[in-house]
Order: sequence, then C-alpha cells, then structure tokens
Amino acid sequence: MSRHHLDDIHVEEDENEINLTPMLDVVFIMLIFFIVTASFIKESGIDVNRPDAPVTESKPEDANILVVINANDEIWIDRRLIDPRAVRANIERLHAENPDGSVVIQANKKSTNKVLVWVMDSSRNAGVYNISIADQR
Amino acid sequence: MKRKHSTFGVEEEENEINLTPMLDVVFIMLIFFIVTATFIKEAGIQVERPDTVTADTQDDASILVAINAVDEIWIDRQRRDPRAVRAILERMRAENPKGGMVIQADEDSTNETLVIVLEAAKAAGVSNVAIASDNE
Repeated sequence: MSRHHLDDIHVEEDENEINLTPMLDVVFIMLIFFIVTASFIKESGIDVNRPDAPVTESKPEDANILVVINANDEIWIDRRLIDPRAVRANIERLHAENPDGSVVIQANKKSTNKVLVWVMDSSRNAGVYNISIADQR
Repeated sequence: MKRKHSTFGVEEEENEINLTPMLDVVFIMLIFFIVTATFIKEAGIQVERPDTVTADTQDDASILVAINAVDEIWIDRQRRDPRAVRAILERMRAENPKGGMVIQADEDSTNETLVIVLEAAKAAGVSNVAIASDNE
C-alpha cells in the first residue's frame, strides 16, 4: 500500500516524505546510550606514577624517608618497629626534619597490598605525596 | 486525551514540528559522543580494595588490571600470565595512548605481583598509574 505513495515524492509542498518518527526513536536511543556510558567508570585510587621511575632499587641521597615493610607486614622506620597508627606521625616528623625528602617504601615481596596502601595513605595524610615503591629482592 | 482542534487539516500533515534542525542537532551530538567514547574493558573479577582517606578520583582510567587475593592477574576478563602483562599493556596503550591505568589490587595480594605489574606498566610506557582503593 505504501508503494503508491512514491508518486507523491515529486510534490514540492511536502518536505518530509521520509517517515521520521522511527528514525528519531533510534537516534535518540543511541544518543542516550552514549551519553550514559560516557561518564561511568570512576575509579578512586592513589597515584603511583611520576615521570621518573616508580620502582627504583636505590635512591642516591640518604635524605629520603625510608619505610620498610617486611614479610610479616610489620612497618619499620629508622630501624624501629612502628605501630601502623603511628606511621603518619612518624612521617610527619621526618618530613619536618627534611622537607625535600621523598618517601621510599621498601616492601618485601610477601607483604600485602593492604599495608602498602596504608603506608601510602598515611604518607599522603602527612603531606608527602612524593612516594616511591621499591622491591626487596 | 487532549487534542487541539486546529483549523488547518491535521490529518493530512503528520509532522507539525519542524524536524530538520532538531535532527541536525541530535546527529551532531550523537556523532560527538560516538567519537569521544572509549570503551573501557573491565578486569573481570571483583576485589576487596584497601581503605584510604586520601585517594583521588581517576577520571582518565582506561586500562584496568585486577590482582586478586591469590595473586592472579586479570586483564579484560581473562587471567593473564605475569610475563605476558607487558605485551598486553603495550597493546592496550596503543589503543588509547593518553589513558591512565588503575590497578585494582586486593588488599591481601602480595606486593611482588603489584611490583611486576608496575614494572610492566613502566616498560609499556603507561604514563599514569594508580592503585585502586575504597575512599571514605
């Protein structure tokens, strides 16, 4: 039945011979899909990387704050065992003595990510964002 | 049902609204969103992220790497061998050079695996790496 309407295309008064409503539906669905999926994945995390190496074997200056995490998830600063809740205060103190120093975390291979992130978070809380992670080999 | 009874022949014209400019606008917006959409591949597993208070939202995360509690590395819904991670990251980075990377590491995963992934990311040239956490 619709075929007979093809003869009407030649009429200049009708501008919209194409059936626009279904096309609009499809286009709007696609548009809404892309709008919704455009801003979705928002991970929150701690930045690790800087232009220089995030993983280093050794640091040339001794002025850096060295935090050692051993295989039992114990936190050692300055060769003293530190309670996890006191890490932030210790880093604050060391940072006040040495404002240019960065924090180097030497984590044992078998230490867990929880402790590492805890130390990083404490360091950022203490105001030191320049953190490097080194691996004990 | 409300219907305006207008004097001109409603039953002959189906489209009273001028559709052409609206279509133009809609198509422009659609093409914009298609072009700027990058599809992020989920890692494939759920992990228990460690808790933090100082984390930042990672807006440009395009590569997701998950490490579960038994130190398995999962990228794009498949378990990956640690030695293959670098090649995979290089390939994913080629698709989206400016994208950042987020490592969703379980809080009980060991740092050995984390360091392997970090070194692979650095070797692949990924510029912006972050560790995922649960921020309060």
